[in-house]
This record gives sequence, C-alpha cells and structure tokens, in this order.
Amino acid sequence: MSEKITISFTVNGENETREAAVGQTLLSFIRDDLHLTGTKSGCEIGECGACTVLLNGKPVNSCLVLAIELNGKELLTIEGLSKNGELDKLQQEFIDHAAFQCGYCTPGMIMSAKALLERKPDPNDEDINEALSGNLCRCGAYQEIRAAIKDAAKK
Amino acid sequence: MLSYEYVKTGNLQEVFKLLESREHVYPLAGGTDLIVGMRGGKFAPELILDLKDIEELKELREDKKGITIGALVTLNEICLFKPVLDNIPILSEGCHSVGSYMIRNRATIAGNICNASPAADTSAPLYCLDAVVNIIGSDGTRSVRVDEFFTGPGKNALKKGELVQSITVLKPYPEGRGIYFKASRTGSVDLATVGVAVQSWGERVKVAIGAVAPTPVRALSVENAVNEYGEKDWSKAAALVNNDISPITDLRASREYRYHIVEVLVRRGLEKTMGV
Repeated sequence: MSEKITISFTVNGENETREAAVGQTLLSFIRDDLHLTGTKSGCEIGECGACTVLLNGKPVNSCLVLAIELNGKELLTIEGLSKNGELDKLQQEFIDHAAFQCGYCTPGMIMSAKALLERKPDPNDEDINEALSGNLCRCGAYQEIRAAIKDAAKK
Repeated sequence: MLSYEYVKTGNLQEVFKLLESREHVYPLAGGTDLIVGMRGGKFAPELILDLKDIEELKELREDKKGITIGALVTLNEICLFKPVLDNIPILSEGCHSVGSYMIRNRATIAGNICNASPAADTSAPLYCLDAVVNIIGSDGTRSVRVDEFFTGPGKNALKKGELVQSITVLKPYPEGRGIYFKASRTGSVDLATVGVAVQSWGERVKVAIGAVAPTPVRALSVENAVNEYGEKDWSKAAALVNNDISPITDLRASREYRYHIVEVLVRRGLEKTMGV
C-alpha cells in the first residue's frame, strides 16, 4: 500500500480534509474515497473524457491527475451541478434533447460543456467541437449534445 | 495501486539534489504522459518530483530576445498567448494539435519535448522556428537547439539532474505564413501518424516532419531545392522529401503510406505558405 498524504480541498462547494494515497489517481479518489460515482471511469488513459471534472474551474481528465494534486484546489463534479434538487440548465437540456443513449459519457460531456459556457456564454459549433474534443460518445449522440448545449446557452 | 515517493517543493536547489538521489526520478509538470506511462508499465518511478510550486518554471513572456515559454506553461495557455498567435501561429497550431482540450489544460510543451516522441506535435513547428531549449541544473544553465535536444525515440539531451526550464523562440520571427498538418486516425486525441510543419520566411522555406524517423527531422532536401535552386514546382520539391525521412510501419500506418502522405502534405504546405 502506498503512502498517504493529508490533503485539503473544496469539493462541490464543501471544504474537505482527507487522506489520499500517493499512487492514487484523482478519478479513483473521487469514486472510491469521496463516493461520487457520477464521474465515470472509461479508458483511464485520457482518451475518452468520461472522467472529466473541473479543477479550479478548468476541465481535466481526472484519470490523468494524481489525487494528491487536489491539495488546495477546488473540485467540481457532476454531483455539484444541481442546486436544492433543481437540475442545472445543461442537465435539463440534455434530458429534453435526449442527448444520450447509454449515458456513460454524459457526466463528462456536461462538465466540459459547463466549463465552455463559463468561458464562452454563447458558443458556436466550432467552440463546442473544440471544448468536447476529448469527450467521446460511442452511441453517437453528438448532434443532440450540440443542440442541448446551444439551448442551455440561451437560458 | 502505483507505489512511489512523492515530493513537491518550490526550491530548485532541493529539486536538483532530489533528481540525483535515485535512479528513477520523474519530474511532474502536466503528468499527461507520465501517468499513462506509469499505468502502462513504461515508467516505474521511485520518486515523483512535483514541479508545480517552482516559480522559475512558470514564465510566459515576450521581450526583445523573443518569446519564452516556461516548463509549467500549459498548451492551452500557449495557444491563447497573443505574441504566439501574432508572430508564430504555427506553434499555436502545433500545441492545439495535441490531445484534446482537457489534455491541453494540463499538458506542457516542455513535457511534450522531454517525452521525446518522434510524433510530438509541438516538435515540427519548434524545428521550423529554430527554437532553443533552456536547461537548468546544479551546474548552472545551458541552452541547446531543439534539434539537438531530441536524441532518439523517448530520449533527450538532458543529463541526470537537469530539467528543462523553458523554451525560447528567438527573434527575428518568420516573415511569412506557417502551417502544421497532422495526419491521424481520428480527429482528436490520437497521436500523429505524421506531422508536417512548413514555414515560409520571405522567399525561403523551412520544412520539418514528425513521426517519420527516430526523431523529428528537417526536410533539408526540400528546403535546398526551394531555397538554393529556386524550385517553384512544389510537386517536384515535395517529392524530394523521400531523401529526408525513414518511416517505419506501426499500428498507425504502414511505411509506404507515410512516404505517400508526407509528400502530399509537404506539397500542400508549400502551396499554402509559398503561394500556388
């Protein structure tokens, strides 16, 4: 078992102090220690985007970040989007457009889209393609995903 | 779970000591190659040295010398840095070709060249720009040209105990257009099957190619034909690229396909940068 280090961070608005193993990825820490299983594990080599989370507001592949690098940072996962039982507008638009089939890529897609709308409130197709360049949907719901993001941007 | 020691320090002298303290010490900047490599068994670090607190590696600036990019600057930061976009947009294209938007939020240009893949997307643009790699170690600093930095697949010119501090593109900047073509199996994330950078400097041209030899290479036969012999038939000039490359067959493409696609992309690059 590898050594553990105490880290302090913010997750979905809450301050936390936990122990993280030195050899652990952020993805494993989120799922296995924080029990936030909305963040999905896919390829684990940074190619699929299912594990996308926002670290200090920027989308990253959590499989390519060490858990201990979370120290002093702000983490936002898919669980942090809804407020008081009300879905984020992106989540609602994904449902309204049926922008998924199996849904496995959806949390990662929404986190990438969330960061996109923060930096570009009115994105065009090119902006969306760029922002989601690392999020793969093997069901092929890309058209609906793009439409959902555009409609969310209007709200 | 992976097993190694982890140290994060803001003190460069301590970093130099630690780099020499064991056989397998890996510096961590973006980590996008390191973590994949550890999981795949390519790297087995005894110690990971997190560099992200070291101020000396964070600079991103333009001054009278040129543009300097610190080892901790991410690829997305480079893509958006105005002096890069205004003066050397070919480098922005190369950076933008790496991985995906999320990868580029972590990955660094120093990591891209230290990993020394012959397919590194930033390499061909850096070769065209005659970039300089600034190296720092306990004995002081030294600088090498980027084509001297790549020494083989996965091998670079760093000695034990040294780090890349930054990369500099010196003035004068190229007067003319630059373009980077990446041929790959998918629109994003995949490594380059080949990468072709073409940069015009007035009437002259520089051409560099990735993933066709043990290191990125300059296409000197093509450059000579255009620059010294005034070749204006871009098809003829591009055909000479076969003298400059020695591609292999791997999972991304066959040797024959690489010969073919490189010639096509060099011709297109010449057309786009030198005029039809």
